[in-house]
Formats: sequence, structure tokens, C-alpha cells
Amino acid sequence: MATKILTVDDSRTIRLIVTRAFRAYDCAICEAGNGEEGLAVAAREKPDVIILDVTMPVMDGVTMLGKLKETPELKAIPVVMLTAESGRDNILQIARIGVRDYLVKPFKEEQLVEKVGRIVSLEKKAATAPAV
Amino acid sequence: MAEALNYQELARRYGLEPIPESVLRLTQIVAKQDADIQEVAGVIAKDPALATRLLRGANPHARTEADYEIRTVDEALLRNGMGGALLLAMGTPLALALVKTFQTMLSLKLDSIDPNSAVPLAGQHLLGTIGFSGKAAGMVFLRLSLAAAAEVASRMLGLDPQELSEPGVVNDTVGELLNITTGNFKSNLCDAGLNCRLQPPRVSQTTDFAAPTMAGTMLERMAFRAGRTVVFVDVRVNPWNDE
Repeated sequence: MATKILTVDDSRTIRLIVTRAFRAYDCAICEAGNGEEGLAVAAREKPDVIILDVTMPVMDGVTMLGKLKETPELKAIPVVMLTAESGRDNILQIARIGVRDYLVKPFKEEQLVEKVGRIVSLEKKAATAPAV
Repeated sequence: MAEALNYQELARRYGLEPIPESVLRLTQIVAKQDADIQEVAGVIAKDPALATRLLRGANPHARTEADYEIRTVDEALLRNGMGGALLLAMGTPLALALVKTFQTMLSLKLDSIDPNSAVPLAGQHLLGTIGFSGKAAGMVFLRLSLAAAAEVASRMLGLDPQELSEPGVVNDTVGELLNITTGNFKSNLCDAGLNCRLQPPRVSQTTDFAAPTMAGTMLERMAFRAGRTVVFVDVRVNPWNDE
């Protein structure tokens, strides 16, 4: 079964890059543009891992993370923060709420795949047989 | 245990890079509004790049160094006050963040160039704007030609330029580059004691190459080049915001 990854970021560019990063793997990517949408998608899709931005409209990533951890059926989903927010106080605050890993933008796709691969199993897609 | 969390341990665990010591030191010194001007001059004088930028800012109408009326770090600090040093201190992490963002996300190595010698952008170009407010307040403006913006989006998304036909995709990419750059910059300011928050980026086309004026602010224009791509960055700062 494909590994389900939820990317929550208000930037379509970042969501596209995340999708591209995992295209060689047997993954299903779900997307949300803010924390409120992210919670709804997480409840519906029960992803294996969430990749979460901090600064977003409507509901930011820190608020979403807090609500996720307060929800019994969602709190065990591992979260990797993917954000340009690298300030000491913010990192400490986010770590206290509980994240599995933290990747500061700018980032390379390989770094993201490596960090996610430490949390969930990533299987390379089988090569597609050429059409006859 | 939450109480046992230590930033250094977290930074090591997450593989985070610390802010360069010299930049942190200068920002911390000038963030103290009663900082000793000789202490600031000492830090700047040891860094040729900082001294060059300070003198350029103190001689805004000079086309070349030969035209400078203010020629020493001490004179420049006396003329522009500590606000000029704060602007300088803030510009450094911004420039570092921009170069790192382009290198990491686009594999483009930006070199800093003299903004006075760079050819100004003519006609329509893309302007990204982002504001920050708090103990430090101001605006950051990023400009590049439409062709350069398309190339940047193409590199960032791994698409051919002709595949960028979807409306807004170039603007979204430039906005995200600005967001990443200023997010890093803002984090450095917060770590130096200048807590502030960012507003969402805005990206639009303009023909006006002049840096926007804002009452009570100081301006530094920077320029960078990677091959044919030239990027202009203006940072406007209200040095001593009361918030």
C-alpha cells in the first residue's frame, strides 16, 4: 500500500516540489493550503506523515500542530516541519509541542526524502513495462 | 521532557545551521540602542564587505568610490548614526539568506555586485514585496526581469519555461523565494533580540525601478548576479521601531 504523505503549505510551489520529491516512490500525496484545511485532510485521509509549514494564512502551522496533538485519533501521526522559520524560540516552541523532525527552507529534495524516509518506509516504484 | 529541551541539542538533531558569529555579534551590538559607536566601528572595520556597504550607503549620490565625500567608517557612522549600522547589520543576513536560497533551491550561485554599476531593469519587471514588523520593522523588495523570473520558476519547479503557462505560477515561485529568504532573515533578527513577524509576500509587475519611499526609514539597495540573471534587493528599515 502506498505511503500517504500530507503536505500543508500555502505555497503551491512548495507543494509541487514536495510532490516531485516523492514521485519516484510509491507514495500518495495529499495537499492542503493552510492549517485548517490540513486538519480536515488529516482527519479524512489519515496520512502516514505530515509535512508542515509554519507561516500560513487562516491557521498557521504551530496552531495546527497543537490541535493535531490534542486530537486522539491524529496525535500519533508524525510531523516534519518544513519552514523558513529557524528562530531559536520558535524551534523550541515547536519541539515542545512535538515534531519528529525539522527541515529549514531552503532545502534540497533529497534532504526531505531522507528525513521522511527515517520515519516511514519509502518503496521505490517498480519500473513501468514499456507499451507493446 | 519539554523543560530539558536545549536549542543546541535540537539544532544538532535537526541539522540546523547557526547564524554566522560576526553577523550575530553586530546585530546584537546595534540592537542595543545605547551601543557604543566605537564598538560598532571596530566590528565593521574588521570586515571589508561591511565597510564597503556602509560607505556606499553614506555616499548615496556617488557613482564611484572616487566620488565619495565620506571616506572612513567613523565618518559614516557619525553621519548616518547607529540606524545606518543597524541597516547594515540587517542587510547582511538578508544577503546571506538570498544567496543560500538561490544556491539550494535553484543551483544558482549569486555573486554580490555593486548596485550602482548594474544595468537598471528597463520596462516591465517583477517586484516581490514583503513587510516585517515588531522591534525591527521595514520592507524587503526583490526585483528581477520577467525573463529572469521565468528562468527562476523553471529551475525551481524543474519544468521547461514553455510549461509555465499556468497563470500565477511564476509569481507564486518568486513569492516563495522571497518568503524563504525573508523567513531566514527574520529568524536571524529574532535570535539577535529584534523580535518581528512577517507579512505575506506580494508579487506584481511594475515599470517603476525606483526604491519606494517610506517616511522615517533608511534604505539599502543590493544587487546580485548569476550569469544572465540579475536580482535587485532593497531593504527599507525603520531602525528603532517602538513596538
